[in-house]
Amino acid sequence: MNCFAGIDIGSTAIKIALIDEDKNVIASRVTSTGSHFRKNSVDALHGLLAENGLGIDDLAYMISTGYGRKLLKEADESVSEITANAIGALEAGRKYGEIRTIINIGGQDTKAIQIDSSGTVTNFAMNDKCAAGTGKFLDVTARNLEIELEELGDYHFNLKTAPLPINSTCVVFAESEIIGLLADGHGKEEIVAGIHYSIAKRTIRLAKRIGLDGLVYFDGGPALNKGLVASMEDELGKKLVIPEFPQLTTALGASVLACEAYLDELEIA
Amino acid sequence: MDNELQAEKKSVPFNRTHQAIEAERMLRRIKDDFSDNPDAMDYFYDLYEQVYCKGESLHKEEKVVGTMCVQVPEELIYAAGGVPVRLCNGFYTDDQVGAEFMPAKSCSLVKATLGMLDKGSTLPFVDKVENIILPATCDQKRKAGAMISEMGYEVYDMEVPPVKESEEARLYWRRSVHNFAVSLKKITGKKITKANLKDALAKVAAAQKAYRTLHVLRKESPSIFLGKDAFMVTNAYFFDKIENWTAAVNRLNAELEQRKEKKITAAQRRAPRILFTGSPAIFPNLKLPVLIEESGGVIVADETCSSNRMLYDMVAVDEYNTENMVASIADNYLKPCTCPIFTRNDDRKRKLLNMAKDFAVDGVVYQSFSGCQVYQMEHSSIAKALQAEGIPMLFVESDYSPDDMGQLSTRIEAFIESLKAKRRRKR
Repeated sequence: MNCFAGIDIGSTAIKIALIDEDKNVIASRVTSTGSHFRKNSVDALHGLLAENGLGIDDLAYMISTGYGRKLLKEADESVSEITANAIGALEAGRKYGEIRTIINIGGQDTKAIQIDSSGTVTNFAMNDKCAAGTGKFLDVTARNLEIELEELGDYHFNLKTAPLPINSTCVVFAESEIIGLLADGHGKEEIVAGIHYSIAKRTIRLAKRIGLDGLVYFDGGPALNKGLVASMEDELGKKLVIPEFPQLTTALGASVLACEAYLDELEIA
Repeated sequence: MDNELQAEKKSVPFNRTHQAIEAERMLRRIKDDFSDNPDAMDYFYDLYEQVYCKGESLHKEEKVVGTMCVQVPEELIYAAGGVPVRLCNGFYTDDQVGAEFMPAKSCSLVKATLGMLDKGSTLPFVDKVENIILPATCDQKRKAGAMISEMGYEVYDMEVPPVKESEEARLYWRRSVHNFAVSLKKITGKKITKANLKDALAKVAAAQKAYRTLHVLRKESPSIFLGKDAFMVTNAYFFDKIENWTAAVNRLNAELEQRKEKKITAAQRRAPRILFTGSPAIFPNLKLPVLIEESGGVIVADETCSSNRMLYDMVAVDEYNTENMVASIADNYLKPCTCPIFTRNDDRKRKLLNMAKDFAVDGVVYQSFSGCQVYQMEHSSIAKALQAEGIPMLFVESDYSPDDMGQLSTRIEAFIESLKAKRRRKR
């Protein structure tokens, strides 16, 4: 059986999507990146194939994307995560309507992407080297508050008062700001909600640089955090489209591109 | 310089200094990561190796005059028997040293220049510089001038008007250039005469002619010459002996003409054609141009003060008497200058749009150093002007530190991919 893989080697997690020729998702996996980008990627891919009764020979075409994209020599080619994200959002977002804007928050990047009806990127904005307001920031916050990353959403909705204004979205400065707020006797709920609103404000400001047309699709690991999603919607003034598996959009996009590249090659041959 | 520092410096061989290591890394990338570089480029690669990796001086006997901006009329320095050497610096090592002098978010170029001139730093391509000419352009350079004076250099402040279109500005600048011409005698010990000025004009014009030929060759499609090499060529003009430079560019042009005949191309036929503009790319901070070409784009034209702006416009003289020549030189350095320090800059927009058309450009990459306010402030008006013509632009704010390579490569690749997709759609 011919299958196509998109493998998104991010700063925090490796995401793999396997699809068939009709672009149906056969299997997917999210695993931690660790420090051995290439080895962990290859292991995860082999594991996923084996679990689904597939071998490496079934893999007709593979495209890598994400930070570690160039390291994976096993891939047929690589694309930037912005292009892959656009195609993935178009594919996964189809059932919600026509997606024109994508907001992605990753482990160390924030991106806003504008696409046309074919999924072609027409404009994009991305943070500079600073990882302020990204997944890394949520990670540090949870650790400082001694709660699990998955609990951030619950804390957000348990808040009975107004969220605290958090001024800093810098990972380093926010850490000391949070410690200061805890020392002042503020509750975790107030702080968590405050953090979500401060990320939302920063992210929407970035996205406004490219305009916020049509349906806005929000993906990346932090889109799993319902508290953050609610804050983003408040800040934006409209509903966001949250896909079923927010972490996998970019990997899915890469797998769709892999399938198309394979079909193009067949045509040429 | 105190003896202790000097002794310490000598104990480190030049090729082990941070500057040499940084230079070596970029030079390897520019030479070895690309196949089939023109043979005539070896002259330039060797030149960089000589001055930046081995620390050899190019100007031993001559009276070197340091300049801190493209705005200094070099014809006058040559006429007065001096050798102009442009000190605008691209090293991250020096940027870190210079950071001590400037506020947190300041221009890397200014910081790196300060760092290079600071006590204890290694000055490349010359044994020593005593005199530095500093045109009063952007705030950061102006203030750096005072600090450089304090370091013990003789700094000449050259006044520049903040507007370039008015008659007042022209007269003001002409007077400033005239005063500079007179003052040069004190620096070099030689007076400017009709004869030596005419020679100097010819010398610089020959270099400009060679550059223009190269510039036009870059219109070829598919491209026959890469932008990373173009930056190496123009950047070498900062410090090389001018006659050697001109001869080397002429050799390169001849080789490129042959390659054109033989249809030897430097990039893929459909490689997106990029126009590079904004804060100047100066060796070894060529990370953005190199990334663009590693990602499958090709830089076919540039509009920066380290390249095109430095060499494109020739002095037009009416009559070869000293007064008229000095006035013509002055005019040439003001009117065509598209530096964002000027109050209005419709000229830069016009120039970019023309270049985009002439070089069949698919997209523009606009670099702005973090802390370079004038380039940052001008970027949205440039983006709008380009957008109106359907030309996409990528604005990149960056500095000399290598730690944003991951993000930069993602952005550059995505931009190149979107240009390719746009082209496919057109077909």
